[in-house]
Parts: sequence; structure tokens; C-alpha cells
Amino acid sequence: MKKILMGNEAIALGLIHSNVDMVSGYPGTPSSEIIGNFQKFSKEFDCDTYAQWATNEKVGFEVAYAGAIAGKRTCTTLKQVGLNVASDALMSASYIGHLGAMILVSADDPGFHSSQTEQDSRSFAKFAKIPVFDPATPQEAYDMVKTALDLSQKFEIPVMLRPVMRVSHAREICDVDDEVDFQPNRGEFKRDVGRWAAVPPKGRFAQGLEQLERIDKIALYNWENFIKPRVDELSSSDTLCLTSGTGDGYVREAVEDMDIKADILKIDLPYPLPKKELENLFKNYKKVIIFEESYPCMEEQLSSPNLHGKLTNDVHKIDEFSKDKVIRAFNNVGLLEKSSPYQNAKFADELPVRPPNLCPGCPHRDVYYAIMKVFRKKKSIYPSDIGCYTLALNQGAIDTVLCMGASVAMASGFSIADKSKTVIASIGDSTFTHSGVAPLINAVYQKHKFILVIMDNSVTAMTGRQETPERANPGEINLKHIVEGCGATCMEHIYTPDLDESIAFMKEVKKKHEETDGPLVVIMREFCVLDKERAPQMLPGIYATVDPDKCVACDICTTQYKCPPMHYNEDHKIEIDPFLCIGCDACIEDLCPTDAFIEREVK
Amino acid sequence: MKYQIVIAGIGGQGAVFLVKVLSIAAGLKDQKCLGTENHGMSQRGGSVSCYVKVGNFYSPAIDEGQADLLIALEGNEGLRNIQYLKKDGGTIVVNADEKFPQIEYKTVKIDAFKKATDGELPIQALNVYMLGVSLAKDPNFPFTIKDIEEAIRVMNAKVADKNIAVLHKAIEDSRSIK
Repeated sequence: MKKILMGNEAIALGLIHSNVDMVSGYPGTPSSEIIGNFQKFSKEFDCDTYAQWATNEKVGFEVAYAGAIAGKRTCTTLKQVGLNVASDALMSASYIGHLGAMILVSADDPGFHSSQTEQDSRSFAKFAKIPVFDPATPQEAYDMVKTALDLSQKFEIPVMLRPVMRVSHAREICDVDDEVDFQPNRGEFKRDVGRWAAVPPKGRFAQGLEQLERIDKIALYNWENFIKPRVDELSSSDTLCLTSGTGDGYVREAVEDMDIKADILKIDLPYPLPKKELENLFKNYKKVIIFEESYPCMEEQLSSPNLHGKLTNDVHKIDEFSKDKVIRAFNNVGLLEKSSPYQNAKFADELPVRPPNLCPGCPHRDVYYAIMKVFRKKKSIYPSDIGCYTLALNQGAIDTVLCMGASVAMASGFSIADKSKTVIASIGDSTFTHSGVAPLINAVYQKHKFILVIMDNSVTAMTGRQETPERANPGEINLKHIVEGCGATCMEHIYTPDLDESIAFMKEVKKKHEETDGPLVVIMREFCVLDKERAPQMLPGIYATVDPDKCVACDICTTQYKCPPMHYNEDHKIEIDPFLCIGCDACIEDLCPTDAFIEREVK
Repeated sequence: MKYQIVIAGIGGQGAVFLVKVLSIAAGLKDQKCLGTENHGMSQRGGSVSCYVKVGNFYSPAIDEGQADLLIALEGNEGLRNIQYLKKDGGTIVVNADEKFPQIEYKTVKIDAFKKATDGELPIQALNVYMLGVSLAKDPNFPFTIKDIEEAIRVMNAKVADKNIAVLHKAIEDSRSIK
């Protein structure tokens, strides 16, 4: 059956068609749509499944992994930096294995489109000694889910599927199974203390030996089942392009466009590679070029004098792949003299930039504005975290961004290192439950004096508004109880789109902080303007416009507030884009020192 | 047949919706199609660019100098992506007023913001409107009105009539564009 699927949708459908009945993960672009789609398909095809958001990636991995130990077919989904969080569990799971099947979907983001790092999950799989599939398209992602689960079941080891953004967020007409014949697996834990609780050194050493043996077996399996059939089809030119994942598409298109004579061998399973077999194959070629993104994962497993890639400085080492980069690699190894046709002049004049920004009407903007009004920049340090609120960088309201949960412990560190400043850190509600609690306990335990503002909009907003623990269980999970349970002083405030009120509250916070011996946690109860359930009640529907006679072009709104509809017109007066204004009313009255923002009459 | 489209706009204008409609249109005609959406960091108000490749392609991304058509839901976002157009034969269909600069590509310009301000079309349907203009003004556009209508119905039957009305208005309005 043909179906138009986005990569993440194809992965979700592949899971259903492979009888996976436990999925647990944490959102992260570009992986976030897998669980939502899996829930949708479960409902559509009436499959009895467990598919839930975990509080963080390590938790998500462990839930799915225990399921696989008990014989189920399971999946965990995360993004590449989330894999760092789950890595502790992964490294050991790779020694121990399981009885059922488990697929770890780690979505990468070459080009840093929405990630702090460009790390390659394939290289992480290599480090953890688990096999990894690298799909190039949604169709391949669908197919590889099935193959990966079978491989996982056969070798009793978690198998990784590594889609990049251009797979997860690509759309393709896919050929998928006609029927859903969903057969959930019976979970049955079989006691085997020697395996599930192997104790170092002896127990783990024995598993380490098995791990080495297993990975060699899988390398050979890779050759026999996935690589050799393709080698037999090669036409034997002088050049071999060894490709993995999306690298393959760029190479095929460039080679076709430019009429380059070269064999292309696509590797589906870039780790573990059959070293001897591939190196023998390379002897038939004058030159072999490896195209993969983003790290030299395959290249580091192979050696041959005619091998070219990132390690020989012939292929790019950072940023997303493109056909232009393929051509430059061919130029570098001396196989092509023609210059790249994939270059074209950009528009010559300077264009107004449109950096990632908080949405119009977003409560975060007001809260940061209030923080900056009360805690002046010169006397403060603003550590922040990973989420929508990171975009308050535009307002100059953020000094540091490291990784999920780091704001809290970094606030501790700054409070020790620079006592002359007030440390006022910010973190989202989802990020706080992800990894903010342990460092808060640490701060209470050691009496670190700082302010932590939990920007609570009740959704995991940036990744597409996934459900949060508190939103789903308001009776049982309450951020205030968590904070107080950690022993921290807590203030709670319900946000309204009234700047003066937010500023007045921040002044109270400042006073309380001065009196508090340890961390002061502030929970700002906000909402997300894209939250269809809550936003309509919270937005007053009062739209803004500008009285040009009053605007003195003082820049306050465009530098400290930065709401996307605000911009200068040709007369150098501020103007509000009526199509972007969401009617929050926040800028009217309190923002402009000359009161230039006024209510727009809506027809 | 090979045809490559870049859709540029601002977050919230519905560029991703167009990728879905065009993919469905290709699917209904049993044509190969690869689309990609750059979801990016900001949800509303940031730059967005999406690619659609109809025909025998392997990679969803579009390189510079390769696109047959650039649908720009906003003028500056069009200019920001202008390098993706084919040097000879690339067309930009842009929502812009008379201030849009002269460029060396075939330019189809229409001020959809003004039409929305004047109440001629709902701003939420700007994406479908610009798709309609593209369909009417690019002779190489790979889909017919019927193809797109059908795709819009498959995509979301509930709001299809409204969107199809906008599509027809765009085609009608396109007659007056030189």
C-alpha cells in the first residue's frame, strides 16, 4: 500500500507493523513526532500498546529496556543529545542484552538546525558496541525499523536506528504493509541473576567477551546479508563511493547530474563493518571516497591507502551535507576538475534578520522583561536552559546555555565563584522535571544562594507541545510540592499579560531572595500561546497598533522586548504587523515610555 | 519530469501545509516526491524554508541554483532564499508590494497582505493563495487545478471548500498580473 509519510510517521508505522508494544521516550527535535504518531496509529488500528513520554531520556530508555528484558518488543525515542542522558543505561545494556527486541531511535541534526551539538549517534553506537542502521529516506526508515527489530531479537541486543533531520522531517510516498496484524508480546520476566545483575569484575568481564564476539558476528552478518548482495551489483569503475544514510542521496544526485563515472555502495548498517571484506573490495578501485554525516564513523573502522574521507581532509567535517560538498570532495581527490554547479549568488543587499524568537504574546517575554528590569544586567548573571525560553537570548536576558538541566547547577557554581552578582537562573517546567531536581537538592544541601525561575507553561513547548507530568496528573504531581520537598523556599505566581504586575512581583522576589539563606525557587504559572486548550482563555484579544505621533524611535521595544510584530517602517516609526499580533495586550500601557502602543480597532 | 520547489516564509504562515498538499498531489498522480520541512527553533515568526522535489530524486534537500520555483510567502524570505533558484528559468512567486526589488529571475509579484487587509482573503489562507498564483503563472508547474483541489480535500476535508475557494480566487486574481 502506498502512503505519504513523514519520516517520523514512517518509523511509528514500522513499529506497529513490527509488533512493538512498548514505546517510551523524551521529546527532542527532530525525533519528537514518533511517539505521537505511534499513539495515533495504535488508536487507529486498535492496538493494545504502551506509549508514553518519560521524564527524561535515561528513564525512557530504561523503561523500554526492562520491557525487552521481559521479552517484549520495545522502542525508545530521543534526539542525539538525549542519547548522552541515556548513555549510562545504554553502555551497560550493551553488555547485558535482553530476551525480546529493542530499537533505540536516536535522531541526529547535522547542520545544528535545532541542537547544541552535531554529534553523530552512529559513533555513539560504535562506542557502546551496538549495531546501528542509517536510513536515507522515510521509506528506508520504515523498512529498517523492521530489520533492526529482527536483528535485535536475533542477537539479543538493543539496535539503534539513526535518522537525521532530513529523514525524520522528510515526506515521501512510502510502500507499506497493507494489513495490520498486530500481535502484542507476552511479557514474562525470567529470573537470571547472573545475566540481569552481572557483578563486576567476573560477571561483566564474561559479558564483555560475549559483547566482542557478538559484534564480530554482526559484522559478518552485515556483510553476508546487507553488503555483499550490493557488491555483486557494482559495475566496476575506477572509483568507489561508500555511502551511509543521507550521504547516499547527495552522492547519487551529484554523480547523475555531473555524469561522473563511479560505483556507489550504500551501507545500511555503518557499524559494525566487516573490515577485511570491505578492505579487500577496495583493492579493486583506484580511489575510494566515504560520504557520511556527520562523523567519520565508517571511516574510522577501515583502513586502506586509497581511502579518502574526513580523516584525509577531502570531505567536509562540519555542517549538513549538500551536493556542493560532494563535488568539492571529488575536486579534492583529483577526480573532477569542473567546479560545482551548486553555487549561486545570494541576494546582494542586507536583509533584515529574523532570528528564532519567542512567539508573539508569549508570557516568557514578559517574565524576562520583568527580570531584567528588576535584576539589572551589570549586577546579575542569567544562566538558562534548553527550551523555548532559550530564545530570550534575543532580549539579552540569558547569559549561558549548556545542556538540559544545567541552569540549576550552573547557578550554584556562579553563586560560589562570583559573589558580587545576583544569580537568577531560568528553566522550563519540563526541563526541571527532566534534570533540574537533583541539582536543586544539591543547592539546598549546600545552601547555594540564587534564584531559580521555573517558566511553567505546562507543555514541552519547543518540540511541539508534548504533555508534561504535571499537566497529565495535576492531582499527584505539583511543581511546588516537588520544590518544597527538595527543601527550597518557593514562591508561586500566576502570570497575567500585565507588565507592571510582573515587574512588581519580581521586586518581591528580589526582597525574598535577600532574606533567604539558600536557593529561592519561583514558579511562574504561564501558558503557551499555541496551546489550543488554554491560550484562548488567557489571551484578551486586544490587538495593538502604534500612534506614530507618539513614537520617538527609542528602541526599547525592539531591543528589550522584541515581539515579532514590532518593526520600524520607512518613516522610522514603529509599526505592528497586524497579521502577527496575537492580541495579548501586554505592550499597551506599560511597555512604551511615550505610550505609543494603543489598541487597534478590530473590524 | 523533474521539478524542484522551495517554499519560504515566516513561522505560522503555513509553509509546511504546502509541503503536505504538494506531496499528496504527487501521490495521487503516482509521481515520486520528496519533501522536507525545516521545523527550526522558533514556532512563530522565524524564517522557515521547505523543499519539495517531484520526480526521480534521492535526497530531499535542494542545493543552490537548482529550484524551478520559489514560493515566497513574504518578500524578504523570498530574497533570503533566492540563491536556490535556477540561474536560467527559475521563477519566484512572491507576496510583496511595489517596493520588492528588481531581480534577475522571472518574478510574479502579488500583494497578498494588502488583499488580506482589505478583507479579500483570510490571512490564514495566504499559503493556499500563493500556491494558486504559482499554479496559474508558472507554465511548468507540475500539477493542475484539479490535482491541487483533490489534494486539499484529502488533506483536510473539513476546511477544503474554504481553501479551494481561495485557490480559485488566486487563479482569478493572477489574470491581472503581468
